[in-house]
Amino acid sequence: MSASHPPVRRYRPPAPLGGRRHASGGLARRSAGAFAFLAPALIVIGLFVIWPMVSALRLSFTDASGFGREEWVGLENYVTVFTDPDILNAVVNTVQYTVLFTPAAVLAALGLALLLVNPHLPFRSFFRTALFVPFVISFAVAAFAWSYLIDPQVGLLNHWLGGLGIRMGNVLQDPTLAMPAVAFVAVWKLFGFYFVIFLAGLQDIPSSLYEAARVDGAGPWSRFRHVTLPLLSNTMAFVLVFAMIAALQAFDQIYVMTGGGPYGHTQTVVMEIYESGFRKLEVGFASALSYVLLAATLILSLVQFVFFGRREKDLSS
Amino acid sequence: MTRMRTLLGAGAAALALTATGCSGGGDADGPVELTFWHGYTEADGDVLEEIVEEFNASHEDITIKTEVKTWAGIDDTLLTALSAQEGPDLVAMPSERLPVYASRGAFVPLDEFYEGDDAAANLVPGAVDMVEVEGEKYGVPAGFVPLAVYYDTALFAEAGVEEFPQTWEQWVEVAERLTVDENGDGTPERYGVVLPDHATVANGLWPTLFYGNGGDVVEDGRAVIDSPENAATLEFWRSAIEDGAISPTGVDGVGADELFGGGKAAMTVGGPWMASIAAENGIDYAIAPIPAGPEAQAASAIGISMATTVDTGDAEREAAQEFFSFFLDEANAVKWSLGSGWPPLRTDIPAEEVASNPVVASLTEMADLGRPLLPGVVNSVDVLTAVDELTQQALAGGDVDALLAQAQADIEAALE
Repeated sequence: MSASHPPVRRYRPPAPLGGRRHASGGLARRSAGAFAFLAPALIVIGLFVIWPMVSALRLSFTDASGFGREEWVGLENYVTVFTDPDILNAVVNTVQYTVLFTPAAVLAALGLALLLVNPHLPFRSFFRTALFVPFVISFAVAAFAWSYLIDPQVGLLNHWLGGLGIRMGNVLQDPTLAMPAVAFVAVWKLFGFYFVIFLAGLQDIPSSLYEAARVDGAGPWSRFRHVTLPLLSNTMAFVLVFAMIAALQAFDQIYVMTGGGPYGHTQTVVMEIYESGFRKLEVGFASALSYVLLAATLILSLVQFVFFGRREKDLSS
Repeated sequence: MTRMRTLLGAGAAALALTATGCSGGGDADGPVELTFWHGYTEADGDVLEEIVEEFNASHEDITIKTEVKTWAGIDDTLLTALSAQEGPDLVAMPSERLPVYASRGAFVPLDEFYEGDDAAANLVPGAVDMVEVEGEKYGVPAGFVPLAVYYDTALFAEAGVEEFPQTWEQWVEVAERLTVDENGDGTPERYGVVLPDHATVANGLWPTLFYGNGGDVVEDGRAVIDSPENAATLEFWRSAIEDGAISPTGVDGVGADELFGGGKAAMTVGGPWMASIAAENGIDYAIAPIPAGPEAQAASAIGISMATTVDTGDAEREAAQEFFSFFLDEANAVKWSLGSGWPPLRTDIPAEEVASNPVVASLTEMADLGRPLLPGVVNSVDVLTAVDELTQQALAGGDVDALLAQAQADIEAALE
């Protein structure tokens, strides 16, 4: 018996995943397959997003009421958007609302996220869940609940504060307080979402950076200013843009709580769209106003993204 | 390939679903089915349902299916239904909302019905005014009732008020006596009356008060709100509410219902449903006509109208008119009135026919006071907003003359 060497195996690369046949297939064939997979989503998006948008764009150049006869009116609706004093009032109100809502919601969310990111805090999960709960509630329901809470005649909040000798008055009918009140309800309702996003952003910051900063003698404010904030800038951009979009679309709680009143002081652009479309049946005009709002929202979002994008570049260079 | 087929199948199914959503329309020869949207949810809804069932039983080839929504819900869904050409065949809605739909071509003109039906000639004229737009009638009245004062008789007895006030001065004086501010903090625990300053009951409170002093909002299609009469009316009520604190401020129509139901106001201005609100809350109540102003005694009326939408075929239109005739025939007019608590829609029904329902009896007595709200005004939304903005700011202490001029300009723009 002579010893023999085991046969030497020649290395063979593994077959590509998905089989050779596909890899060598034409581009057209491959994209047909991709489209087939995308088809269900594309059909849904096409039917319920793209088509309505195109159709609304067409309507915005007509005097349509959504049914019956309609006539092409060219740019007339857009001219009205930029000249009607009621629309100007709505724009001013929407800006006011945005200025009240956005910083308050973002600061509340960031502050609480900073507090609750601390792993040593007792009942941390409970607080996190509790803060998120308002976001899950329907906006209309929340608005009804708050209207009753602050009602001057039967409101619990008024009753309690009255016991302390504080008089709240009829907040929703007060032209100076109505807007802050509806903005407050939106902050209460929506900040939970931003809070969760901030929490995720904060947890992504490596703790080694904080340790290094601490070793270098950075205090809490320095650490926040020079570690947390810069590393949170992406999250911040996202939250700010989302909060601003939510603010520009303010409608639900205003519809429920004030109906745009007192005398037009909480009439926002979306309230105006609703009223034109569903009350006055001027769907053509409502579509034009919607498109102007869409354009404004897009521009403002882009400006914010560019601003934050540049800041990030500055930081990394 | 199987996967591809599944995907295509899913796409086709989605398309098929959309397609079935769009199909509809009636068959001219076979039995006719009508859908009927309305917002009657209380005892009135039960009676209407009964009338519809009797109609279905007595008309073999017609079936009416009712769909109950809230009044606001009808307004919110009718537009989308019409734009999908899926509108109901019949729809009931607050009368001041009819002209905007009619002028946009949502409803079928019913002049033929008015020419051919016996009941039509005997309908309450004010109610018919509210279905007329640009000279054509687009609806059939389902309800027409003047606003009235609903008051708590126990509180009246407690305060020693024996007779219901007949004039504005007496009304204010009685309201002052009924207002209770025990702790003297300037905020009464109970108000004599509740007078909303915006979104008032059927938007009719301030038009009602304007009528009392000989004023109006829109007359023959022209804005007439900026008048010395209306200025005097606003001054009168502002001083009554401010000096006497007889009514809370900043309340709307729904809030007024709640305050009266909660025993926090002795009088409220409202419609027949206040009777059930009072009964639910164990309040002994009575109904009285709005006290007379210096110039007139009149009240804005709450109107409900029924219309046939353009999404109907000829057979459905005919069937709808048959239902209108049935609904307005003498027996059903009485039945509807007694069951709903609204006065009869026909002037030829004698008062004793509805005497068995005390609410209807008292409302029928004051039926002559009812004036239609903004008949034929297409853009009632902007007109009513202008009125709301006027009254809210006037009661909050604004300059009445400047506010009236502003309201006049706003209403003129709305009527253009």
